[in-house]
Amino acid sequence: MKILLVEDDRRAGEYLAKGLTELGHSVEQAFDGESGLAAAATGAHDILILDRMLPQLDGLEVVRRLRTTGSTLPILILSALDEVDERIQGLRAGGDDYLVKPYHLAELVARLDALARRRADLGPVAKLTVFDLELDTRARKVTRAGRKIDLTTREFQLLEFLMRHTGQVVTRSMILEGVWDYHFDPKTNVIDVHISRLRQAIDKGHERQLLHTVRGAGYTLTEDP
Amino acid sequence: MVAILSGVYLATARLLASESDQLITLEAQSLKADFHDHDPDTFISAIADRAEDPWVRGAVYELRGPRGDFLAGNVVILPDLVVQHDGWVEFQVALTHGDETAARQIRAQIFDLGDGFKLLVGHDIQDRQAFRAVMLQSIGWAVGAALLFGLFAGWWLGRRIARAARGISNNAAHITEGTLSERLPLTGSGDEIDGLVSRFNELLTRIESLTSTMRTVLDSTAHDLRGHLNRIRGAAQAAQHIASEPAMRAACDTVLLEIDRLGTTLQGLLRIALAQSGTAPLEEVDLSRLVAEIVEFYQPAAESHALTISIQPHLTVRGHRQLLTQALANLLDNAIKYAPTAPITVQLIGTDSKAIVTVADGGPGIPVEQRQLATQRFGRLPGSSGLPGSGLGLSLVAAVARLHHADLDMSDAMPGLKITLSIPLIATQAINAKR
Repeated sequence: MKILLVEDDRRAGEYLAKGLTELGHSVEQAFDGESGLAAAATGAHDILILDRMLPQLDGLEVVRRLRTTGSTLPILILSALDEVDERIQGLRAGGDDYLVKPYHLAELVARLDALARRRADLGPVAKLTVFDLELDTRARKVTRAGRKIDLTTREFQLLEFLMRHTGQVVTRSMILEGVWDYHFDPKTNVIDVHISRLRQAIDKGHERQLLHTVRGAGYTLTEDP
Repeated sequence: MVAILSGVYLATARLLASESDQLITLEAQSLKADFHDHDPDTFISAIADRAEDPWVRGAVYELRGPRGDFLAGNVVILPDLVVQHDGWVEFQVALTHGDETAARQIRAQIFDLGDGFKLLVGHDIQDRQAFRAVMLQSIGWAVGAALLFGLFAGWWLGRRIARAARGISNNAAHITEGTLSERLPLTGSGDEIDGLVSRFNELLTRIESLTSTMRTVLDSTAHDLRGHLNRIRGAAQAAQHIASEPAMRAACDTVLLEIDRLGTTLQGLLRIALAQSGTAPLEEVDLSRLVAEIVEFYQPAAESHALTISIQPHLTVRGHRQLLTQALANLLDNAIKYAPTAPITVQLIGTDSKAIVTVADGGPGIPVEQRQLATQRFGRLPGSSGLPGSGLGLSLVAAVARLHHADLDMSDAMPGLKITLSIPLIATQAINAKR
């Protein structure tokens, strides 16, 4: 992935760029809003990581200007401000995702991955399929190997979220935000309980397990063992 | 005013009385002189003339001889009075004037002329009394009218002040619940109420600038601390990546874990500060739905608890969705954590003006004397050190309650802890309910 990283905190930017390069991505860096916007406008990148508060041109302003040029470049906003109200502003301005510092590299990578792939299969898909698991969003129906599976509304939403990110790692906070629109850290392992319930529903009695735990990161729904 | 009018009345009445008394006295004195200057027969006929003079209206005379015999006059009320009295008398007598005969009130003086002769000289004071009555009546009307006017003016003024005060109070409530940038409208009359309003507006300006300063401090502190943590985390992660020795890797793990804890604590503190700063934007929130969703979210984690849920639908409050959710999440977290396997009850009911959320658990509860401590920052209770938590959970709940002008109450669920959050309902809801 060709990543444009606009971050005025050079130390933090350096660590992040290094981490991403080691994961096989190519990273171009900019250190202020003006040059960041100019670099993004070239259209040479797959994704933009943008700090919320930048010298010269504020991060939100970069997003706004970029969007007015018609750019659909996926944007992940990094912020040291509390996400409660700021994230709404960031997303409203045209950002695609919002991550608060300090972040785990794994969390950031998972979100980048999700953003980059979302571009590939844009548009509402009526039917999602992973191996022999099928989910029909319009009929609100789930089948595994042709057999109907009964799910609650929330379980259905959770499964749909996982299936839309099939083959990717989704973190607990991504699930919390994507399925419940919650932005706090539940101190109990409640997400894990929701996942294990869903796993019971879709994987129990089947030879091939589809819902996997990724240690230290989150979960993934994939047909690859 | 009543006192002034009474004064006027008394003065006028006295003036009238003394004037007619003076006239009588003067006439009596001149008659006395006449009696001495003339022989009795001439005097008697002079009195008779006077008494019958049709031009003299309202004057009465009566002359009695030494043996009490009637000699002249136009009234006969003596001898008793004349014989016994000396000085002023008042009596009623029928007087004929022209064709009319009417009972009149007379005030008269009786005096000795000498040689046993007694003379009564009097004056009709009926007119004077009528005047007095008219005056009394006029004063009565004046006092009544003044009283009525005063009452009306008082009522009107009171209403005007009450209305102005109510306006100020409503607007002030609106502002404190909403955006601090709003100001109370001035009427432009320049009166005391306008003065009060502009003082109030000055206060609002000060509060607004203070809260915006606080928000700026909050944001820059958050930005600064998070920036540092982020750099430390980046460095620790980079170190972990290249660490070859197991001890070094373990040290890096510890550093990363502690940074994450610090990040969580910082976030908790910042959210409390955000809620307390009052700058968090509020919107219309369907509390019934919010409570139902957060309970549903926690339900799988509460499988070992008997969970009783009762939620009254369609209760709307002005609130901060994320902060309210987190406050409720903290309450449920606590219930699950502190009361393992004990039953949990979640209830939402609406009263006339409040939505009342209750979370009760059957756990050990919090002793009365420690309840205050529980809502303080880092106020961890004795015996809770083995359990995970930053000690910020209930203080966030308390801060969120304040942000929502809600009452937070802790009581005994017998056994266990019962936390009640009473949040004001949106006013339009009451209107809708009335329709």
